[in-house]
Amino acid sequence: MNDFDPDRRKLMKAVAAGTAGLAATPWLATLVHAQPNQGKTLSITLPNNPVTIDPINQLNHDSMVLGQTVFENLVEFGVDGVLRPQLAKALPTVSADRKTYTFELRDDVAFQNGQKLTAEDVKYSFDYLLNPDNKASRRGIFTRIAKVTVLSPTKVQFDLSEPYHPWLYFLTKYMGIYPVGSREKHGGDYFKSGPIGVGTGPGIFEEWRANDYISFKKNPNYWQKGLPAWDRLLVRLIPEDSVRVAYLMTGQADIISAPPPREFNRLKSFPGIAGASQPTLGGWFAMMTNTTKPPFDDVNFRKAVSCAIDRQAISDKVYHGLLEPSGLPAPARGWWFDKASSDSVSFDLEKAKAYLAQSKYPTGASFDMIIPAEPYLLDVKDAALVVQSQLAKLDIKANVQVAEFNVLVQKMIRGEHTATLMIIMSPGEPSYLIQVTMTQGQVMTKSTGYQNPKLDDLLRRAFAEEEQDKLKPIYAEMQQLLAAELPLVLLGFVHAANLWRQNVKNFKPSLGLTMSVRDVQI
Amino acid sequence: MLRLIVGRLLFSVATLLLVGLILFLLTRLLADTPARIVLGIEASEAQIAVFNRDHGLDRPILTQYLDWLGRIVLQGDFGKSFITGLAMNAELARSMPITFELVVLAFVFALALALPLGILSAVLEGRSIDHVARVFAVAGVSIPGFWLGLMLIRFFAVEWGWFPPGGFSPLSSGLGPHLRSVSLPAFALGIYYVAILSRMTRSSLLEVLGTDYVRTARSLGLPRWRVLIYALKNALPPVVSIAAMSFGYMFGWALIVEHVFNIPGMSRALLTAIGQRDYFMVQTVVYVFTAIFIAANLIADVLNRALNPKLAGAG
Repeated sequence: MNDFDPDRRKLMKAVAAGTAGLAATPWLATLVHAQPNQGKTLSITLPNNPVTIDPINQLNHDSMVLGQTVFENLVEFGVDGVLRPQLAKALPTVSADRKTYTFELRDDVAFQNGQKLTAEDVKYSFDYLLNPDNKASRRGIFTRIAKVTVLSPTKVQFDLSEPYHPWLYFLTKYMGIYPVGSREKHGGDYFKSGPIGVGTGPGIFEEWRANDYISFKKNPNYWQKGLPAWDRLLVRLIPEDSVRVAYLMTGQADIISAPPPREFNRLKSFPGIAGASQPTLGGWFAMMTNTTKPPFDDVNFRKAVSCAIDRQAISDKVYHGLLEPSGLPAPARGWWFDKASSDSVSFDLEKAKAYLAQSKYPTGASFDMIIPAEPYLLDVKDAALVVQSQLAKLDIKANVQVAEFNVLVQKMIRGEHTATLMIIMSPGEPSYLIQVTMTQGQVMTKSTGYQNPKLDDLLRRAFAEEEQDKLKPIYAEMQQLLAAELPLVLLGFVHAANLWRQNVKNFKPSLGLTMSVRDVQI
Repeated sequence: MLRLIVGRLLFSVATLLLVGLILFLLTRLLADTPARIVLGIEASEAQIAVFNRDHGLDRPILTQYLDWLGRIVLQGDFGKSFITGLAMNAELARSMPITFELVVLAFVFALALALPLGILSAVLEGRSIDHVARVFAVAGVSIPGFWLGLMLIRFFAVEWGWFPPGGFSPLSSGLGPHLRSVSLPAFALGIYYVAILSRMTRSSLLEVLGTDYVRTARSLGLPRWRVLIYALKNALPPVVSIAAMSFGYMFGWALIVEHVFNIPGMSRALLTAIGQRDYFMVQTVVYVFTAIFIAANLIADVLNRALNPKLAGAG
């Protein structure tokens, strides 16, 4: 046995000193972590990490709360799904040919940098969006805007290449107004990760700590007097369901998004906690079927699949009411919903068997059904297993495959899939996803592989009308056509759901799914 | 000793080069492109091609690798994330101290509990404390860290309110809030290694206590505590090796702990980067983890040589 020799003693002392040094690392962490500002802070949570704050490149509806805190639009899509003027004094006047929209701007709006909002800023913002060189990911849905003309400092005119009234609904989600020259002055990354002073919204960007939080401070000169009621907005990024709930329960968060469906009803009855949900007008839960590939190349097979899926059971057992069943791309609560068409392709096992018998695959078939690995709005894994078991009753075998969301989307864009089961979101008006997935020349055209001049014509007619009374028969005819040809199998529309602490006032889930926090009081 | 250190350093550099190359191959051979995330699902193939060209993603993988490596070696620049637009060096400076603190606290906690527990189990072999320690060890290695984290949040944060449910409070917010914010994550991270290290200490010490020279020392009438100190010195080398490796492994386990407790450290950044296909961030974090693991092993080797004269002589 050996005693410690002097060298080893020195070594052990060095180790002890090193350990003490390591224990001091909290001080090091402190150096790089300034304490957040204090004040009346509204704390909300998001289930995923945003990529950008820039409204013209938004990808994810959860994250749109960031852009909408900084940037505003001519009109806004309200939490109740109603279109209202925002930076414009009123909804636009529209020419008789439905191709010219004229907006009168408010004259009391200033950007967060103090610069007054003018029509030049509006023109600049749209010109930037529409310039293909700027690679705005949402440019595609605004390309019918042919020209933006400044009529006066507070009046701006939009000329469209053809009638296209839904574009107003897309503004809230995919557009914002920023000052003339701001893009060139600051560069693209400025709008992406630190847009200070370039919006007119209620919150001024403060700080983005990756994987932690994004914060905004109150815009003291916000044009809507008395708003916002908070001094600071803290958007915490918490991917884990249980942890989001724990934040709410312990008061670390005031409002949470994407609550776990199976816990939602229990949690909203907890003391001090409130919650609500409402079905969205654009949150599709659908099986995107590739009509160019077997077995979905047969309309009777598609109808058999549609009629074999018990949507109500999935809503009740998997989503606990956070899914509103529908057989067609129209929500049951939407004014354009045609119940008879939806019912004709809804759950009816006998009808499903009859359709299958008439199809090219009377003894059943097997296909790959790809689902996203991570939840987007709601998790579809459990629902996929239920669909799989329901289809098995007709000897239809759905092979569930899991893929990362972006891989899945790329497969659909290229038309490499046979079927996918997923949730996708549109801005809450009837035409957007139908146009994007079932007409030619669109990014998701190959997701269904479907084309029909009659559908194109119906869409053109719909774009040219604005009054519900005139639109309703057009959309009814469209749904009858879709029920007859069934390019895809719709399961329903997901709910916008939130939980919040009872000290939060003036908040309700937004029909656009993005949390709206401007009017919230704490 | 010098030869050992130089040899190990050269080996470490070679390992880092190899890891870097493998990382490049793995991340670049994925079917998808980050352009889809940045530009959106409606981006055209032409827009994606422009993005890839602007960010050098259309160059040969080896060229990209050498460019990346050159910038690190010559400029100390890990590059910039094209997903978030943030500089990698700034990200590391922000997140690394947090993960480092978490791992150090968990490591100190594991050592502080494991060594006494292991020694007591060995000295009192077969007694109730030994049985309790065994049960504790089995539980420690069996309970999944993810589940343990959620249970800690469930009871210590939500039910009793003793700790926050997650997040990281910097020391500038006060010593109390800071320690409360790191306590549960450090416990969840360290408990597994308490089990491992205590069992290693026990078995190593029992082996030494059964040797001839210990019996001789006892028969010569040396006090029990002195015999125990002599025995411990010879029982420590394997414990040191395992402890050093555990320190490196903890950075990997921190991935789960940081996710569950919403800690904005390096591991959480890695998880996010994987989901967003942020190649540069994945490469950077894995590279740093690799360097830490190699350094921990190097320190273990040096310590063992110093503690064990036989190994030192083999120099």
